[in-house]
Amino acid sequence: MAANKSQGRSFGLFLGGLTATCAGIAAFSSGMGKAALVIGLVVLAASFFTFIKLKPLEGKIALGSQPALMKLVGAVVTAGGWLLTLFGLHLTTSVGARMVIALVGLAISLVGMIGILPAACNKNAIWKA
Amino acid sequence: MKKFRNRVWICAVALLLAMGNTAHAQAGSAAADLKAATAAAPTATQMSQGDPGGTLTGTINDVPVSNAKAGVTVGDVANQVGQNKIAINFVWTLVTGFLVMFMQAGFAMVEAGLCRVKNANHTYMMNFTVYACGLFAYWLIGFAIQMGGAAGNGNLGGLATLAPEHMITLFGTHWGLWGTQGMFLSGHTYDVGVMVIFLFEMVFMDTALTIVTGAAAERWKFLTFCVSSVLMGAFTYPLFGNWAWGGGWLSALGSNLGLGHGYCDFAGSGVVHAVGGLTALAVALIIGPRIGKFNKDGSSNAIIGHDISAVLVGCFILAFGWFGFNPGSTLGASAAGNLRIGTIAVDTMLAGCTGTFGAILYMWIFKGKPDAGMGANGLLAGLVAITAPSGFVNTVSAAIIGFIAGVLVCISVAFIENKLKVDDPVGAVSVHGTCGLWGVLSVGLFADGKSNYGGAWNGVTGSVTGLFYGDASQLVAQLVGIVTLIGFVFTFSFVLNWILDITMGQRVSAESEVAGLDLPEMGQLGYPEFVFKPEPAFMTMAEEGAVA
Repeated sequence: MAANKSQGRSFGLFLGGLTATCAGIAAFSSGMGKAALVIGLVVLAASFFTFIKLKPLEGKIALGSQPALMKLVGAVVTAGGWLLTLFGLHLTTSVGARMVIALVGLAISLVGMIGILPAACNKNAIWKA
Repeated sequence: MKKFRNRVWICAVALLLAMGNTAHAQAGSAAADLKAATAAAPTATQMSQGDPGGTLTGTINDVPVSNAKAGVTVGDVANQVGQNKIAINFVWTLVTGFLVMFMQAGFAMVEAGLCRVKNANHTYMMNFTVYACGLFAYWLIGFAIQMGGAAGNGNLGGLATLAPEHMITLFGTHWGLWGTQGMFLSGHTYDVGVMVIFLFEMVFMDTALTIVTGAAAERWKFLTFCVSSVLMGAFTYPLFGNWAWGGGWLSALGSNLGLGHGYCDFAGSGVVHAVGGLTALAVALIIGPRIGKFNKDGSSNAIIGHDISAVLVGCFILAFGWFGFNPGSTLGASAAGNLRIGTIAVDTMLAGCTGTFGAILYMWIFKGKPDAGMGANGLLAGLVAITAPSGFVNTVSAAIIGFIAGVLVCISVAFIENKLKVDDPVGAVSVHGTCGLWGVLSVGLFADGKSNYGGAWNGVTGSVTGLFYGDASQLVAQLVGIVTLIGFVFTFSFVLNWILDITMGQRVSAESEVAGLDLPEMGQLGYPEFVFKPEPAFMTMAEEGAVA
């Protein structure tokens, strides 16, 4: 399936829902704001429901399945290096030690980003078949 | 003793009287000067004759008077001076913002030129539509998240309404997470200064968004691209933008933890380019390579773009726009050290120059030809890398930073394609991601401690100074910024686009991909009168290789 009217409608719904949600957040202290937030969230949910309904109509795509668990591990490791750095900065006031902590965190994040995740995303790549 | 005290009192009173008389005399003299200037100003009759030499226009006659009876006063002149300072800064920031906005045209030409002719309309349309998607999302909520706590910019009149920043307290220090004011630019943020900073920050945000379209070109479903871009403009970019530029925790690493001047990113190697480049990598990983890009043994095929002239002209448009990007990031041309704009502009052009040399020489020496596509990417790589340090380094450092970026982009393109097996049709991940991170790092190495924008940066007194000029702690702050870009921005983008892949699908059908996206996704060919050359067989083996 290529671009069509249903996709256009669902995107319009998404934009409308996001606008109402943001208006609700901006005016949350008022009754109207709360109502707008609820309406916006409902419309946003509806737009995602239509996205899900439209997805299978796309037809065959040139992409193999990517193992979800491995992707999740990659994302966790990438974020883990960052969190390690953040908390490590508070363990010492030495510039040298903080630099080492930042470099260790960076190395861990890089393992996740350019080690695990590309391997996960290419595990069942169609060009391998 | 009593006599001595009396004498002291008499002296003090005499001194005060003398000072009062001097002040009165000075005020009187100023008033007399103003009167004389008013008397010497051109008359209405003289003005009615025209002013071909430009010697009569722009005099005391043009200073607004608060009290017509009193004429021009010192107060009127002082107010006009303040107004002029802000006006100069407003005009500077707006005009440089317009230049950055025009970079969208350059990006569109570069990306479309590097793609095949059958996807030209789709690629141009992504670069066109991303402007609307980003701007709308930024107006709704993105600006509030990024700059809604960024009050205190004296260049633009204080921006007092952009407060407070939402903070949390950890380990006894306050860390800013996001702004709270400015949604829809309504309420107190309906303010002239806020409008200026909105326009300037918005065009930066859109630059980051348009980077992603290059890495995902020729296979990205238009609907998903639209939703992904809106979400990036609303959340991903503004969050990191707040942490670096909006008073958030990264900018406070200096004042909170003593790490130099905190994370320093003058014009956005990290905030704009690395955010765009890393998001591009996240999307490219999820969306997978184009049909025919890789062979069974993992080797890659070159998929040549359709218009190298568009690529090179687009690069020059981008280089032109970069004079808005970097010098404009002073947010003013008057006061607070802003006269450094000349140095920033020269740093920018030099880094682009050496970046071009770095890439061309690398390709010529190691591959045998001064490749045009990589030369273009070398120019952009140098410009991307100098974006963060442009406000803090001298011209020699700028040239070194640019040259390293030019070489780095060639190595990175090969690494991403051959080792990671990620298909990035335009080299966006390498140009903006890799070289953006290099730019952030280079601040911590090359900042020479000579630029002092009003006495302090990120709330820390003094000038930003890197490792080579004696401050190792600045390098740590930059490393923390880099880890945040990879650990948070990349991960956040990856998870967000993964969710979109699950719910709506990121990739077009294999059938559309082989046919070219212009007709199925856009309904119109980019070049309807062209006769398409048949593609090699490996690029059309869609049906048998495709999976649902």
